[in-house]
Amino acid sequence: MNTTVELKENKTAVSKETLGKLIDRRVLGALEVCVRCGICTESCHFYRSDPKVEYTPFYRAEQVRQLYRYLNDPLGRLAPRWVNAKAPTDESLSKLAETAFATCTLCHRCTLECPFGVETAEIMRVARSLATAAGQAPEMLVELANAAIAKGENPDFFRDFYLEQVKGLEEEVQDKLGSSKAHIPVGKEGADILYVPLSGAHTIVPQAILFNVVGESWTLSMFETANYAVFLGDIPKAKRIAERIIKEAELLKVKEIVITECGHGYPAMRWEAPKWLGHPLPFRVRSILEVLDEYVQKGRLHFNRGRNGEPITYHDSCNLGRKGGLYEEPRRVIRAVASDFREMTPNRIHSFCCGAGSGLVAVPEWTDIRLQAGKLKADQIRRTGAKIVITSCDNCRYQIGELNEHYGLNIEVSSISELVVKALS
Amino acid sequence: MSVFEMFGAVVALAGALICTAGLARLILAAQRTPFRTDIAPARGSAARGVLYAFTLGMAPWVKESARIHWVAYIRGILFHLTIFLGLALLVASPWLAQILTQVRLSVAVILEVGAVTGLAGFWIRLREPALRQLSTPDDYASLGLTTLFLALGGLTAAVAELLPVFWIISGITMTYVPFSKLRHFVYFFYARIYFGLVFGHRGLLE
Repeated sequence: MNTTVELKENKTAVSKETLGKLIDRRVLGALEVCVRCGICTESCHFYRSDPKVEYTPFYRAEQVRQLYRYLNDPLGRLAPRWVNAKAPTDESLSKLAETAFATCTLCHRCTLECPFGVETAEIMRVARSLATAAGQAPEMLVELANAAIAKGENPDFFRDFYLEQVKGLEEEVQDKLGSSKAHIPVGKEGADILYVPLSGAHTIVPQAILFNVVGESWTLSMFETANYAVFLGDIPKAKRIAERIIKEAELLKVKEIVITECGHGYPAMRWEAPKWLGHPLPFRVRSILEVLDEYVQKGRLHFNRGRNGEPITYHDSCNLGRKGGLYEEPRRVIRAVASDFREMTPNRIHSFCCGAGSGLVAVPEWTDIRLQAGKLKADQIRRTGAKIVITSCDNCRYQIGELNEHYGLNIEVSSISELVVKALS
Repeated sequence: MSVFEMFGAVVALAGALICTAGLARLILAAQRTPFRTDIAPARGSAARGVLYAFTLGMAPWVKESARIHWVAYIRGILFHLTIFLGLALLVASPWLAQILTQVRLSVAVILEVGAVTGLAGFWIRLREPALRQLSTPDDYASLGLTTLFLALGGLTAAVAELLPVFWIISGITMTYVPFSKLRHFVYFFYARIYFGLVFGHRGLLE
């Protein structure tokens, strides 16, 4: 009996402490302002693909609000049933974890559709933090975050292997450019740009080709831009992962960090890292999309658009778009290098998520859920008649590749950088 | 002033005091929570974002949801506008007899329309399975009290003898505000300001 009571009190204490740390004015507003009018319902791609109450934004947020009311609302403690307040239990925290991690991609679309602008994604971010603090987060995401931290703690352990891999990629770049002068510099002090890739060669080779073509002063980061702790809502870990790159940039005295085509990596470094650190970063942070756009605008690259003659559409990553503000840069680049660009409807700020954002794609158990949630995107792609889908986020790229197979779209998925390289004249 | 009128006035004033004190406490508590917003160099303008949030950002034509739920959206707008009128009537109510009959009757009609939109709120909440499942007793109590406030406000504007009843209902409703979802109007400003600050700063609303 005592053990049960102690466990319950412990859960309540952990939840209260975690919530207390996470609720700022932005989250408080989102928690309190919702009147459960239901107008946001169809804004969610999960609901549109499978109309269940559990997939409505207000249902998801309500899972956190029940706990919030129990812990913070006088009426929630006095008359919990009156306001639907609930104490944290193993069952409720487990349900909260599943709701936050498996049925919401934190895409922020519902915020724009809500008459009050309720930020359900921010509430779900809090839910993820709560679930992580309670040990209910998906193991895969926790392991990926821990692996990134381990790499930051022991970079020398990985250095030789990494440099050897980069050497191989450099030969590939030299072959493609037909020049032995092309390089992929690593650890070059005083370079203008520290370019931060992902783990795949497709986020290093095309960009290295373009940097070499324009004669950019750049160096490749030792680390990848992926920050899985962001998906966990684990700010201390997210900060440690970001600090690896920030310290590298400071050590190399670069002028700016350029993030590869990565959905969450860009807003994490551009917008969130300064908040985690408590001060602005001492250098500029840009996405490779902004850099490529600048090259196009300044005429530093020359193209043959005919090489990209097939119908092309662009999928807005929610992280780059609604959280990052990058809408026009990718479109300007695509129009410069391709002759048949077609928009999906809706697009830009109203674009639908691919169904796999914010870590969903990394958890194999949720494959069915994300493929179902991606139906809307698959239908959008099909309506454009495009043969190539461009996206600037690796999660989206993987998901759209799977949607292609699952829904028989008969498309190719590629990135802006690859598209630009293909058009080089 | 009759005893009943006196009683009504005391209830209304007490309700107004409790409401003001309760809301002040909520605002102070909200102001004590951390203010975390972007500190990275802006891509857009936070100030323009806030302006957008309170103007075009609320326009129904920019919202797909408003097109889908146009009945609920219009109902919501009418309901809230009539609440503001009801509050204005409450403030002016001690001088009700001095207000022109035509103005009073117009106010009465508008407030009764508001009360009908309140009833429609019940219908929508009970008809939609998702809303029915997630609605709390507080949702119904808040909607019921506000609807009653509008209905009695309308009747009082037409029949001044009902003023003490309007004051009593107003007092009860105002007392309930800080403890219920009726307090959401305070947080409306926080939600819209943050929407504007974040989305504006990041250049999303250009």
